[in-house]
Amino acid sequence: MARIIVGNPHATPGIIASVIKANDLTAPVWVQFYHYLVNVFHGNFGTDTMYHVPELVELKTYLPITLELVVVGQIIGVLIGLYTGAIAASNRNRPADYGMKALYLTTWSAPIFLVGFCMQLVVAYWLNLLPATGVVDPVLHPPPSVTNMPVVDGLIAGNWPYFWSSLQHLILPAFAIAVIGFGLVTRLERASMIDALDRDYVKLAYMKGLSKRTVVWGTAFRNALIPIITLVALLFAGSVGGAVIIEDVFAYHGMGFFSVQAIFNDDYTAILAFTTIVGISVIAANFVADLLYAAADPRVRLT
Amino acid sequence: MGVSDVLDHFMRKPIRAAGEIAIETGSTSGQAQEVKQGLRFYVEYIRKDRPALVGSVIIGIFLVFALIEGTLQELASYLGPKYAYLGWVLMPSNPLALSFRTQLLGPSLKDFPNYIFGTNFQGQSIFSRIMYATPHDAVASLIVVGSAIFIGMFMGTAAGYLGGWVDEIMMRITDAFLALPAIILAITISVLIGGGFTSLLVALMIIWWPTYARFFRAQALTLRNKGYVEAAKLSGSGWPRILVKHIIPNSVDPIIAYATLDMGTVILTYAALAFLGIGVSSGYPEWGAESSAGLQFFPQQWWYSIMPGVVIAIVVVAFTLAGDRLQDLIGGRITY
Repeated sequence: MARIIVGNPHATPGIIASVIKANDLTAPVWVQFYHYLVNVFHGNFGTDTMYHVPELVELKTYLPITLELVVVGQIIGVLIGLYTGAIAASNRNRPADYGMKALYLTTWSAPIFLVGFCMQLVVAYWLNLLPATGVVDPVLHPPPSVTNMPVVDGLIAGNWPYFWSSLQHLILPAFAIAVIGFGLVTRLERASMIDALDRDYVKLAYMKGLSKRTVVWGTAFRNALIPIITLVALLFAGSVGGAVIIEDVFAYHGMGFFSVQAIFNDDYTAILAFTTIVGISVIAANFVADLLYAAADPRVRLT
Repeated sequence: MGVSDVLDHFMRKPIRAAGEIAIETGSTSGQAQEVKQGLRFYVEYIRKDRPALVGSVIIGIFLVFALIEGTLQELASYLGPKYAYLGWVLMPSNPLALSFRTQLLGPSLKDFPNYIFGTNFQGQSIFSRIMYATPHDAVASLIVVGSAIFIGMFMGTAAGYLGGWVDEIMMRITDAFLALPAIILAITISVLIGGGFTSLLVALMIIWWPTYARFFRAQALTLRNKGYVEAAKLSGSGWPRILVKHIIPNSVDPIIAYATLDMGTVILTYAALAFLGIGVSSGYPEWGAESSAGLQFFPQQWWYSIMPGVVIAIVVVAFTLAGDRLQDLIGGRITY
């Protein structure tokens, strides 16, 4: 469907005819779709209509950057969520609980770009702690690309200035992703912690004379962890969506930034490739979550 | 615990409808009190709960202002350029006129309330522009959530009540929608069907219904074994009639809380898309677009980007507060 978009109003009839021939546009839509699917399964996402390079090359350059950002952001977000959720549950209906609720309802409701702007303003410009924009300091010589993830590449090559600089650039956007996502984790963790704290084994732990700290973090926390795994996979889709905006705000040149450029260039192969890849990675995340779930809870059997 | 269970957790599988709670609250007071039902029950509840009250008041102001402002703008465009001032008669200044003498002023109390949010690169008051843009956000949130409830209602109840292959197909479709990030799907669809506000609305409507379909399905699954449904079936009603007369009316009530919460999410998504420049028409201010226009003046003229974001946050927090409290109530966790 996206093929209908007209890119260049000055195209001559000859060019149009050749484009139609090259892209097989006279075929019915479902035949075109079939060809596209076959190509995708061969790892061929078509040629970028803007930069005239295979789409796979673009994906290889930009996807790892976003992946690194989202995964780090997600880990930070889940840690914050678990911690705040456990605190809220163990202080149920006390000020700490209401405070946590106010915190996550606010971060939930804040637009993603506002979170990014506020972080840039306070941490980068007022306090001068971290760089505000970019993936890495542009004057540094990049190490040979192995994974294309800047931090990991710097680590592998032992290029410490590069590693340090890319890590510093990663912190703010990753935290922004964490902030928008942690509320859901807090909420579910609170509910499942409350459930766990009411169980008999928690009462037994108290009766054995263990301190509240040991009971909350040692006994109940571990049992409340299980439902979180499924949520993390669900959250992954939201984080990738958020990364599109975050990358725009922080000029973090990853997949999201690239796809926004693609939208304005009417670069349909890039948009399709991006959407397909995101869909695949979200399904993969769900699959990994199912496996982890079985690993965490011995009662679940994979058949 | 699968994906759908987690979703169900957040949609808080409702146990009781508002009417039933009302009956209980009536009986606890021990008097022969009139049982409050429907809208009056919610009004009574909201009046007693402070977060819900604050949220509802802000929502009320937002919606009423958007209605008046939208009507005035429509009137202005209908009457022609001579009456164009009707569009900004409620604002301290014309949000569309250029005035380069007042370029990029910081927030100040001078000429209150014109400059409380500062001015943008064109010298227009950001406060006026934010006010001028409210109708679009209100329309987007109402239409998208409304259509999602409408589509999800028929899809979901049909799937849950009929079961079998209808259910199977419907659930696989919703799975496909839920696997992709909403923002990216909306971007792709609205680019495919062309730019502008309408195409953005259509894109949001397409992606928004699957969650509601799942919700109504869960409702239908619990309701289809109720006595009155069995009775209707025995008295010879066909399934369309049972759905419309019995299942849908009884599952709509609990959806109100989730829908309130969700209207905030629609505004957030709309703002995020507008921030990326999707669905923005030139010459019409837009919260997200205003914020992204300030990106190149950041951080020196920080108010340009931050202020529209703050307004979005306030409106969405209002929806979240009201929706969250209603959810607690309908989930049966608050009884008073």
